[in-house]
Amino acid sequence: MTAVSSTGVPDEYISSRSRSSGVWVDRSFRGVALGAGLSVLAILALIAYFTTKQAWPIFQFDAWGFVTGTRWDPTNNKFGALPFIYGTAVASAIALAFAVPLSIGIALFTNELAPRRLKKPVIYLVDLLAAIPSVVYGLWALAVLESPAQTVYEKISDTIGKIPLLGRVFGGVPSGASLMTAGVVLAIMMIPIVTAISREVLATISQDDKNAALAMGATRWEMLRACVFPRVRSGLVGAVMLGMGRALGETIAVALVIGSNQKIDSHIFHAGDSMASVIAHEFGEAASQPRYRAALIGLAVLLFVFTLVVNILARWITGRAERRAAL
Amino acid sequence: MTTTSVPTGWVGDRSTSPRRRFADGVASVWMIGSVIVALIPLGFIAFYVVAKGISVISWSFLTKNIPIISDSAGGGIAPAIAGTLTLTLVAAVLAVPLGVLAAIYLNEYGGERPVARVIRFMADVMTGVPSIVMGLFVAMIWVSAGLHRGFSTLAGALALACLMLPIVIRSSEEMLKLVPDELRQASDALGARRWVTVTRVVLPAAIAGIVSGAMLAVARAAGETAPLLFTIGVSRKFVPRLDAQNTALPIQIWNNAQEPVRAAQDRAWGAALTLIVLVFVLTVIARLVAARFATQER
Amino acid sequence: MIATLKRPRVLVAVVGLAALLAACGSSSGGSGSSTLDGGGSSFQKNFDEAVISAYADKNPDVTVNYAASSSGTGKSALQTKTIDWAGSDSLPKPDELSSYQGGKLLYFPTVAAPITVSYNLPSVKTLKLSGDTLAKIFALKIKKWNDPAIAKDNSGVSLPSTSITVARRADASGTTSNFTKFLEQVDPTDWTLGHGDTVNWASLPGTTQGGTKNGGVAQIVKGKEGAVGYVDLADATGSKLQTAEIENKAGKFVAPTVEGAAAAVAGAKLSPDLSYDPINAAGPNAYPITSPTWILAYATQPSADKGNALKAFLSYIYTDGEGMANAAGYAPLPASVIAKAQAQLNKLQIPTS
Repeated sequence: MTAVSSTGVPDEYISSRSRSSGVWVDRSFRGVALGAGLSVLAILALIAYFTTKQAWPIFQFDAWGFVTGTRWDPTNNKFGALPFIYGTAVASAIALAFAVPLSIGIALFTNELAPRRLKKPVIYLVDLLAAIPSVVYGLWALAVLESPAQTVYEKISDTIGKIPLLGRVFGGVPSGASLMTAGVVLAIMMIPIVTAISREVLATISQDDKNAALAMGATRWEMLRACVFPRVRSGLVGAVMLGMGRALGETIAVALVIGSNQKIDSHIFHAGDSMASVIAHEFGEAASQPRYRAALIGLAVLLFVFTLVVNILARWITGRAERRAAL
Repeated sequence: MTTTSVPTGWVGDRSTSPRRRFADGVASVWMIGSVIVALIPLGFIAFYVVAKGISVISWSFLTKNIPIISDSAGGGIAPAIAGTLTLTLVAAVLAVPLGVLAAIYLNEYGGERPVARVIRFMADVMTGVPSIVMGLFVAMIWVSAGLHRGFSTLAGALALACLMLPIVIRSSEEMLKLVPDELRQASDALGARRWVTVTRVVLPAAIAGIVSGAMLAVARAAGETAPLLFTIGVSRKFVPRLDAQNTALPIQIWNNAQEPVRAAQDRAWGAALTLIVLVFVLTVIARLVAARFATQER
Repeated sequence: MIATLKRPRVLVAVVGLAALLAACGSSSGGSGSSTLDGGGSSFQKNFDEAVISAYADKNPDVTVNYAASSSGTGKSALQTKTIDWAGSDSLPKPDELSSYQGGKLLYFPTVAAPITVSYNLPSVKTLKLSGDTLAKIFALKIKKWNDPAIAKDNSGVSLPSTSITVARRADASGTTSNFTKFLEQVDPTDWTLGHGDTVNWASLPGTTQGGTKNGGVAQIVKGKEGAVGYVDLADATGSKLQTAEIENKAGKFVAPTVEGAAAAVAGAKLSPDLSYDPINAAGPNAYPITSPTWILAYATQPSADKGNALKAFLSYIYTDGEGMANAAGYAPLPASVIAKAQAQLNKLQIPTS
């Protein structure tokens, strides 16, 4: 037990200031805490440095060919990453198409429409989607979703897929393991984060402004269009970009359902491949071959850079929107 | 159903044209529909994991080793449970003290200084780094190149710790912010040095929230697969050493999901249910800890 | 209360760090002399696991692990010495041998098995495929099951108009290597991708689906009507897949059975390094797509414990293990080959202490 003076204050308090060694302890504690904070920067810098260094052979050899090449053929030393960049982009785009309307709808519901008692449970349930591990999403999608999805795709392919231009996207021989399925799973995984940030952004609009619009006889929808949407637009863009950052980096769930077809194919019901899932599937066998390994780490560098850029942009946009709304 | 303070006679005004009311109705359908559509997969996943997993879970499933013949039923996933618990514990030991210290710097010393703002921003950015990049990073510097120590539980824990660090920093900083300034000022007025104030007054006041945040980070790390793929190796028995290879629940799900044999699929669902329960328990305890001690705030 | 709240956290951290350091420190000193880590081919997984399981019953103090992934991953891990032995269905090419950081390799053949051509057509009970037709299917030159070429091999059988979905391996696989070797030999005009652990499927005019490990390909075939893929017998049986009869060199359509594989191996010529090639073997009952399997290990063993454990395990395979092959879905080696393999065991250089 610490010794306590007659006033009930621990002795250490009173005596610490008068001891000159206290200054040294204070400074070193602050230093240690600062060091801990700088460790974040250190780790990020180390990741950037080591991944780039290990991927350097491929960048040095043929950076342009790497990023734009369409042929990934490790046995013949051909490493064109474009099919994976394409697959990642398409799966993410499909995910955005589904997730954005849903997430903004949910955010509007909880902020505007929901009765007080329903608000917390809905938020809690939507947040639960974020707690499910991605490998469980993958297992479920693989074992449960793929078969019925394939039937649905086949119906769409037989109807819309017969139309000439649309057939390039929705036609072909559909399969459960495809870009579309990967996109749908990504959409479900994106919803909690886009919803959460959207809710924060929507909450920056003051109730008084909304009341003013309603007082003038506007319906709820008109009020939203008039005084909420214009002001939260950039904030919502930020929220969507954060969700996209999540989708870009998602590895496991996508790897299980994307089909591993390393080709650029316009049909979304066909199998494809993404940067993260090809790393997950092929790094084991590449670990010992320098060029192959450098190529896969090069993919990781590209992923790192893409997600970094998207995240920084998103936070800058959301931050700016929140600062402006606070004025 | 109105949330405004405008007299009810003005809202839902009967002179609103049908077209305007229709647009408003569609918007409401969109909002309510979004909630329903988003919750359908949640219901489905919960249903399937429980339904398929519950028939597999048994005492022997939770306590036996992984069978040598992977396509045979029987055996259990005990090594995976032990592996996940060990990995998250070691990762927490690595990430939580470091993260709390960093949060202390940000909130107690750094404030709005440039260094602090950069660290805060980068910590936020770090939460967005794909987990496979973290795993590859550790694989490169520790496992198959660099230090060349081979697959190990410690390597896996390192990767998870990198993942947990920014989460712990952000949540701890939020908790430290909640501690009222009066406490700090009172401690200062009594003549305490800053470090004494922080460790004797602020930290204990925020400890419940910090522990809660740390547990949520652990729950998140427990479910991660990608950082473990190229770091912990593989094993069918639990080896209680940090330099040994081990297995974990997410790895078992990942491997077994891709084998079409019934026994492997069953094992995957059983492991999935176990993992979900583990994550759920951690989350619930975290919320209880946060709620219980929140009432003690003066 | 304030002070005691602070202590447990610090205590846990200190204990944790101490345990960490202790565990790290205890690593040196014959790291796991009782553990033999193996990994690689999923094709031989079922045999290796059966043998390991029986071996474990007899030798509880030795833990033999086998991490099934693909031949390519196994060879890669052996190159960096992260495993002690690799299971592979294809042998390293001459220019790859320098990547093996442990020096010279020894190839120990273990069993052989048919690579089935598994398909998913509930209405077609028996399917016969000639080499040409098979090559055309996998080269995506035949798109539907009722194509004339397939009909020619199956007179009298009514074939549906379902589209063909080709399933293949996404990872570097010895099964792919052996399967494509067959296609290349029987029909080099239609099959132009050569053979190897990976081939450039993307250059084909159409889509193929990639699965991970033999199980992954089986999963694709099982899940999609009209799918066809190459899967080892054990996995095809385990997933209850339909398998096709393939035309062999003698012109006979042979089903993928253990006997067919044994017939293919019987006629194959064994090289001095114990490699052999049963693909498209002669003989009336030979199954033409029979895959050999090997265990790869370094001639110079790192320690006495590991070396002796490996030698004992391999000896067990050649004495009791071969008898388990049939039940697991594999053909055992002919006695002459086993004798030569056992003799090669003496080439393992095991340190004396």
